[in-house]
Amino acid sequence: MGLLTILKKMKQKEREMRLLMLGLDNAGKTTILKKFNGEDVSTISPTLGFNIKTLEHKGFKLNIWDVGGQKSLRSYWRNYFESTDGLVWVVDSADRLRLEDCRQELSALLLEERLAGATLLVFANKQDLPGALSKEAIREALALDNIKSHHWCIIGCSAVTGENLLAGVDWLLDDIAARIFTAD
Amino acid sequence: MASVIEGNEENGFSGESGAVRIQERLQKRHQARIEDAERRKEAKESHSVAEEKSEYFSSTFNRERACIEELLSSCSGAERAVVTEKLEEATTKTLQLQKFLNDSMQFLTQYELRQAQAALQKLQTSLSETKEEALPRKKFAFRTRTKAADKASAQDAHPPPRDEGTPLETSRTQVDGAAPAEQCGFSNMTSEFITKTAEEIQKRDVLLTHLTNCKVRLFGSPSTLHLKHIDGCEILCGPVSSSVFVDNCRNSVLAFPCQQLRTHNTTDTQVYLHVTSRAIIEDCRAVSFAPFTWSYPTLEEDFTVSGLDRARNNWTEVDDFNWLAAGIPSPNWTVIPEADRKANWDS
Repeated sequence: MGLLTILKKMKQKEREMRLLMLGLDNAGKTTILKKFNGEDVSTISPTLGFNIKTLEHKGFKLNIWDVGGQKSLRSYWRNYFESTDGLVWVVDSADRLRLEDCRQELSALLLEERLAGATLLVFANKQDLPGALSKEAIREALALDNIKSHHWCIIGCSAVTGENLLAGVDWLLDDIAARIFTAD
Repeated sequence: MASVIEGNEENGFSGESGAVRIQERLQKRHQARIEDAERRKEAKESHSVAEEKSEYFSSTFNRERACIEELLSSCSGAERAVVTEKLEEATTKTLQLQKFLNDSMQFLTQYELRQAQAALQKLQTSLSETKEEALPRKKFAFRTRTKAADKASAQDAHPPPRDEGTPLETSRTQVDGAAPAEQCGFSNMTSEFITKTAEEIQKRDVLLTHLTNCKVRLFGSPSTLHLKHIDGCEILCGPVSSSVFVDNCRNSVLAFPCQQLRTHNTTDTQVYLHVTSRAIIEDCRAVSFAPFTWSYPTLEEDFTVSGLDRARNNWTEVDDFNWLAAGIPSPNWTVIPEADRKANWDS
C-alpha cells in the first residue's frame, strides 16, 4: 500500500472537500453562498474580508470559502489557495465593461501552482437580468475553450432566484469525487 | 511417584466409562464449534448488504456495460440529433458506472477491480471514438492574431467601428455596439438633459457611460445601475432593487435608493443615498454622503416594486476598502453637513 493509497483512503473516509469561490466584486459570490445555504439574500453587504460556510451536501462535507473580490482584496486571494479541491469562478453576466478584467484575473489564477489540481466551475451569474450575456458569450469572452490545465464547466445561473446553483455544485462535486476518490 | 501411579490406577479403574465421557465431551465441543461458526456466518450475512457482494457488483456492472455498448452500436447510421441524444445518454451512463465502481471499491478484490477498470476504460475509448466518428469536432488551429479576429467579428456585427487599437478599446466598441439591444442607458453624451420612464427601465439593468455635464433623471425601479466615466453630472434614479456600481466618477451629484452601493475611483462627488445593506468605497477621495431626499410622483410605487425596506437606511455606514484601521474614520469620505445639503432638486 503506497502513501497515495493511504491518503486517498483517508480522504474517502472524511469525504470532505474545500471549495474556493472567487470573482470580481459585485459578481454575486456571497449571494450564491447564502442562497445555496438557504439564507436570506436581501441584506448582504459587500464582503470586507471573507465568509466561510461548512455544509453537508450529497454525503460530502463542503468547506466553502467566499473571499471578497474588491481590487484591494485580490492580492490576498493567494492566502486561500492551499489544498483547494474546487474553484468556483463567479461572473456578473451583465457587467460587459469588466469582462476583460474578469478574463485576466481568471487566467492569472489558473497559472497558480497551488490551484493546479483544482476543478474549475464558472458560474455565469445574474441570468435573471434582461441584459445578461448568455453563458456561451461568457465562455467566449473568458476564452474558456483555451483552458487545458483544468477540468472546467460553465453554468448559467441566478443567485437571486437560485436557478441552476444546485446543478453547478453537483457537477463540481461529481468531478472532484471522480478525481479524488477514484482508484488508480 | 506413588501418586502418579495412583492416578493411573484410578483412570484404569474407571477406564470404560472415562473413554465414553471424553468422546462425549469431544462430540459436544465439536457441535458447539459448528454452531458457533454457523451463528457467526449468519451474523455476518445479516450485516453485509446484498449490494456489497461481488456477484451483485459484477452482474450490475455487466448489465450496465452491455446497455452502453448497445447504445453506442446503435449510433452508427442514425440521424445527427438522435446520435447526440444517444451519446449524451451513454456519457451519463458511463459516468454513473464509474461512480458505481468507485463506491464499490472497498469490497472488491484487486482482480475484480482491475477487470472492471479495464472494461470501463475500453468503454470510454469506444465512446469517444463513436463521438468522433458521428459528430466530428471542429479542427483546432492556431490563429496568428486572435485580437484581430475578434475585432473583425465585432466589425461584422457593427459596421461603423468607433475605436481602433488597444484590446481594451476593442472590447468597448463591442460593448457599446451591443448595448442598445439588451441593456438600456446612455453613453457618450455631453451637456444634455435626459430622462427615462418607468416603462423603459423597470426591472432592467441600466448602464450610463461617458457622460459629461449631463442631468439625468431615471423614473422607475431598475434592477441594477452601472455608472462609469461620469464627469460633472447630476444623476437621480428611483429605487434600485440590487446593487449600484459606480466607477470613475468626478465632480458629480448622485441620488438613489439601493440595496448595495459599490463606489470605485471616484473623487469630489456627493451621494444622496438610501442603502438597505452597505455602501463601500475603494480608491476614492472626497466622496460625501447624505440621506436620499429626491422625490417624484411614483416613488412610493417604485419602492414597492424594488422590494427595498424604506425604514432601513444605512447611509452613514460606509466601508472604505483602503482604510482598514478600526476606530479611526476614513479620511476618504465625509457626511455632508445638514446646512449644505441640497433640498430642491427641480432647479
